[in-house]
Amino acid sequence: MMKFRLILTVLALLPWCAFAGDGRLYVNDKKAPDSRKDLEVIQSALEKALPQARAATVCIEISEGSGTGVIVSPEGLVLTAAHVSSGVKKKVTVILEDGTRLKAETLGLVADKDAAMLQITEKGTYPFVDLDRDAKTQLGDWVFALGHSGGFDKERGSVVRLGRLVRIADSTFQSDCMLIGGDSGGPLFDLSGKLIGIHSRVGQQLQVNMHVPMDEFIANWDGMVAGEFIGEGPYAQLPVKGTGFLGLATESRPEGGLRVTKVGNKSPAEGAGIKEGDIILKLNGTELESRQQMQDLLKEMSAGDEVTLATERDGKSETLTLNLGER
Amino acid sequence: MNANRFLACLFACLVIPVAAQQSLESAYRTTGSAVVAAFEGPRSVLQTSSAVISDGRKEAGYGVVISPDGHILTKASEVLEVKSLNVTVDRTKYDDVKILMIDPTWDVALLKVEASGLVPVDFAPTSAVPQGSWVVANGATSRTSRRLLAGIVSAKIREIPAAGGAVLGVTLNPKSEVLEIADVNEKSGAKEAGLQKGDVILSINGKKVENIKEVGEALKDKKAGSMVKLTYRRDTVKTTLDVRLSVRGEMYAEQVSRNDQMSGDFSPRRSGFPRVMQHDILGNRKVQGGPLLDLDGHCIGMNIARANRAESFAIPVEDLKELSARLMKQSGN
Repeated sequence: MMKFRLILTVLALLPWCAFAGDGRLYVNDKKAPDSRKDLEVIQSALEKALPQARAATVCIEISEGSGTGVIVSPEGLVLTAAHVSSGVKKKVTVILEDGTRLKAETLGLVADKDAAMLQITEKGTYPFVDLDRDAKTQLGDWVFALGHSGGFDKERGSVVRLGRLVRIADSTFQSDCMLIGGDSGGPLFDLSGKLIGIHSRVGQQLQVNMHVPMDEFIANWDGMVAGEFIGEGPYAQLPVKGTGFLGLATESRPEGGLRVTKVGNKSPAEGAGIKEGDIILKLNGTELESRQQMQDLLKEMSAGDEVTLATERDGKSETLTLNLGER
Repeated sequence: MNANRFLACLFACLVIPVAAQQSLESAYRTTGSAVVAAFEGPRSVLQTSSAVISDGRKEAGYGVVISPDGHILTKASEVLEVKSLNVTVDRTKYDDVKILMIDPTWDVALLKVEASGLVPVDFAPTSAVPQGSWVVANGATSRTSRRLLAGIVSAKIREIPAAGGAVLGVTLNPKSEVLEIADVNEKSGAKEAGLQKGDVILSINGKKVENIKEVGEALKDKKAGSMVKLTYRRDTVKTTLDVRLSVRGEMYAEQVSRNDQMSGDFSPRRSGFPRVMQHDILGNRKVQGGPLLDLDGHCIGMNIARANRAESFAIPVEDLKELSARLMKQSGN
């Protein structure tokens, strides 16, 4: 059986060798490096690709923790994992390698493939990397992973790991670049510095590290740019309407608006600084006339959604922004 | 995989070779035998200039040979736990091993075996190599032969501050109005200095301390492994002595994070280092202490901690040379 497998591998190599001319490094088509020169070819390709790859790799801070992403356009379009962005139209913070913090908003995601996009919303020209659009990546290719392992650390920078593509199956790349929490959503590159995958999950064994191939992003590109929530779980859950709450009780006023009669302990309303006696005039721009009307508006929203309230206290008006809590 | 499925797989391979056998055999993976074989140059250096530190017949760590007559550096916190210490260099096993010096700051011990004609490591001129450079470290070992693991330099050289800060290693009696010691941690500098339950702490580095907050202030910017002058009262006698500060996380169980759970067997002492270089070699706590080599087989560092699944630390060669010279001098060489 071993004999068969060996022969077949050699056969399988033949067509690859023929295409080794188009910028593809010959070391990828060797079963293993067998000289110092081979090792140096891998090393110098990696060193050459690293500065741009690293400049485009960003830390993504979300309310529940942090992940990694990679910028793929000069306008600041970022690819990441669905379990990092975890929803559509969420406000997040993106941190560049030099520590610059930028505002960003999540776009669409593919919930069953762990693919997602977000957009840096501050104007600028950002360092970016090219995608491998031709799916040229093959089993055994040398690859490198970048990520903000365990969170952003300016003194350390993002962490690079080298490995090989060891398995291709079920719209997943498996590599032996060891990933850890915080790397999720980070980029996997080939030795020419083209983006080939996004870090998704790991197995119990250290060598089992999974990435979402670029195919899955390209197939759902327009939907994600348009902010669609594509597919069903397990990497992201569709928000359920009516699960959000403000944490306050009100009474209607004859002259319009609602008077706050009670603020829940540790509620989102309390966190935003709302106090008993405050008047709420508007919710997301809609003038409030009755308690029922406000409840109807909230029923259409979900936990985590952003709400803007126009309030009044002692004749002074104010605008507050807060996220709905989970019921 | 049963026979039928294997055959089906073979069939598929014949028809569309590229979609074939989409799993790389383990020999060709980064840690596989075929890939590792390309590093024979540095491996031969591990054979002669790294030491296997064993507890009886069990591997406990590795060491760096720094003199022909048997001086070896290793990771102190792993070696101090060894009950039946012996050392193997190349094919020779040494049962008579002396621990000459310990440097608590770097967590390094200087060992001595009775030997002659050993081959010390050849130090590289600098640790400032580009990220992505290949590095090689000890992997497993057989009785006669050293194996290796390869990886790359993977992040910036930097300090790793003590997890949880630098501490004396004592618990204070909360009911006492003075700073009365209720318990002394077994692994602490306070224990080494001879502090006992009931002793009352009076001052640190000449500054009077009266409550826990003032102790915290006195230790705030101190590094693990550094010494403080501590004045204490036992019964009626006042004494001043030097106490080594320890890494809090090393003595009191750190909360196990999700990242730790996925990290396998990492080093208990993995923080509180003045400067480290970082690499991605897949190791565990039992393969620390040996040399980190470049492709030329030059020693660019010493492996000091497996921090987690994705990060390993080594003492950079500049610091290692300085430390090596200092420990040799202090031990009377």
